[in-house]
Amino acid sequence: MKKYLLRIMAIALLLGSAYATSPITSDAFSARDLARGATGDDVIELQARLQYISFYNGKIDGKFGYGTYWALRNFQEKYGLPVDGIAGSDTKKKLTSVTSYDEKFVMDNLRAGNQFTHYGGTPLAAQVKRGGGGRENYNLPSKFSEQDLRLMANAVYGEARGEPYEGQVAVAAVILNRVEHPDFPDTVSGVIFQPLAFTAVADGQIWLEPNERAREAVLDALNGWDPSENAIYYFNPITATSEWIWSRPQIKKIGLHIFCH
Amino acid sequence: MIMKRILFVLSYALVVVSVYAYTKHNESEKLAIMLSNEYAEQMADASAKLEELDSAVKQTLLFNHSDGSKKARDDIWRLSSDIKKSVASLPLDTSFSTSWMNYLGRIGNYAKEADRLENPDEYYKVMAQASKNLGVMRDEWMVATTGLIDRQYSMDEWMKRLDASNPDFDWSHMGSSIKQFTETDFPLTASESDAMKKRELRDIDDAKVTQAEAVDRFKTLFPQVSNDVIGVEMSKPGSPYPFFHIRFADGESIGYIDITEKGGHVLSYLAERPFGKTALPFDDLRRTAEEFLKAAGYKDVVYEESRENNTSWHMVFVRQEPFYGAKVFSDVIHLKIAKDTGDIIGLDASEYIRKEKLHRQSIKKTDWKEFFHKDVQVVQEELAYVENERLEQRLAHYLKVIRDENGHTGTYNVIVDTETLDVIKTEKLD
Repeated sequence: MKKYLLRIMAIALLLGSAYATSPITSDAFSARDLARGATGDDVIELQARLQYISFYNGKIDGKFGYGTYWALRNFQEKYGLPVDGIAGSDTKKKLTSVTSYDEKFVMDNLRAGNQFTHYGGTPLAAQVKRGGGGRENYNLPSKFSEQDLRLMANAVYGEARGEPYEGQVAVAAVILNRVEHPDFPDTVSGVIFQPLAFTAVADGQIWLEPNERAREAVLDALNGWDPSENAIYYFNPITATSEWIWSRPQIKKIGLHIFCH
Repeated sequence: MIMKRILFVLSYALVVVSVYAYTKHNESEKLAIMLSNEYAEQMADASAKLEELDSAVKQTLLFNHSDGSKKARDDIWRLSSDIKKSVASLPLDTSFSTSWMNYLGRIGNYAKEADRLENPDEYYKVMAQASKNLGVMRDEWMVATTGLIDRQYSMDEWMKRLDASNPDFDWSHMGSSIKQFTETDFPLTASESDAMKKRELRDIDDAKVTQAEAVDRFKTLFPQVSNDVIGVEMSKPGSPYPFFHIRFADGESIGYIDITEKGGHVLSYLAERPFGKTALPFDDLRRTAEEFLKAAGYKDVVYEESRENNTSWHMVFVRQEPFYGAKVFSDVIHLKIAKDTGDIIGLDASEYIRKEKLHRQSIKKTDWKEFFHKDVQVVQEELAYVENERLEQRLAHYLKVIRDENGHTGTYNVIVDTETLDVIKTEKLD
């Protein structure tokens, strides 16, 4: 009986020590294939693992862009996998077997908004710089920046938070139509901060924290939606004081706003 | 005794409030002065640059074709951009500033593109007239802005004067003069006016559909959200192209669809609803999108790219013309697909229905190894129609190139005209 107990204890000890000395890994990869354009926690894991073996040198941000794509292709080439830049089950399996992933370290630093890397062979604590990082769950067309999205979401929330969703997308589209129009500044910030252009800038409401709905509305406008049908002005007929705005050809009314050329 | 204490507390509070109010008042005054100074500086700067612009325009009229003229033309472009930027950041009458920026943009672009003019005398003719008009505008501008530059008015007074129904300076006259100058000095080129027409969908010749037919089209395309139409309105008379604006609220989905009166084409559609946590595989969603497009009659489009966001995927499809098999990037369809159910919750086809007129074009062969630096590798090559700076559709080599940039792989789209081998556009891809 004693021998039997000793044997069980020895096996338990062996398994325990094997577990304790093994690298911290996580099987957070979801079942889906990951390709360019994807976002999410599994893309974060993919980037962190590729960085662990120095294939990926970019920011770990959960967005599968060209940096991740080329890193993945290089990995696939080196390990004799089909080179397609898509993280399917074979690629993920191989990647998991040759790398480690400290999910807690990565997620904690993303949440804290730190700049960090996840290279193997270097203590992780030495790969963190406080601040300047973070994670945005938005995947934008390449001609727009996250700053554009933030500023536009502020403007949409300040100008149209009580309006239907369509009206919020339309306000964002007006900003973009102005950027393209020869009569207005060429940048999102230039258009938004043009004096006398937006009430929310004049009265400071632009600095209110926008909600998720305003961000989603901006995202749709940045991705090509324009419910205003090419408008470059809009106004609230109840509160508008300018006589000039009434002279503009009107296109449609959404909620309280009339959109015009 | 109590009375004395109350009196003491009240007096103390009054002193504190007075000091606070005084400090706040001073702070606001300081801010107002700073703002006024900033605007005065920008207006003075714009005035000085306007003088320089006028001088640069005159300098270009001294030469036929020489380096001297080229430099002065570059100056016109730079100065007009600078003044445009200043005008954009100044509190001016809206109608005036929009017309003024348009004029400045056009004069700059005209100078920049002068090399391409077939007849050199045309430049002289246009710019001689522009110089005359610019002189008139410069004088008017000096009169209009002197109040703020010389600090005759505070910022408040300046704004009041702008908003006044009878302002002491006739901004609207200045705005209409500049508009007239724009129309005479830099009329729209044929291609520009063509593009404007397309933008406005005026050139659709399709037969009109009725309101009921438009609603039917909506029901056919999106049966899952079209059971409860809550309103159909016709676009307002100022809209260059008439369309039906249909609003719906079906179950948890609320949204709209705009359908043109001519032809019953979908301009755009969006539905808003709560989303579940599950996410269907991307390949299934893409297949759904492609099947939807085929069923909806968009049969000549091909998949281009997609972007995943919190609740949905945004997908981009572009038209493929049959002769070269080239993608037409101006004829694009955007789709928004819910990750949880695969429902099509957004469609924008407004650019697709304004189909571009395409012309055949010769394709010069070139060796990309000689064209690019030796560090650059071309990884993808296809043909595409792309709009150039003059808004003309040009057949182009649509290249994806990569280059090692300090351990990162930089990826770029480089678009090269097949006939002239001019680089139409270079774009860094993230």
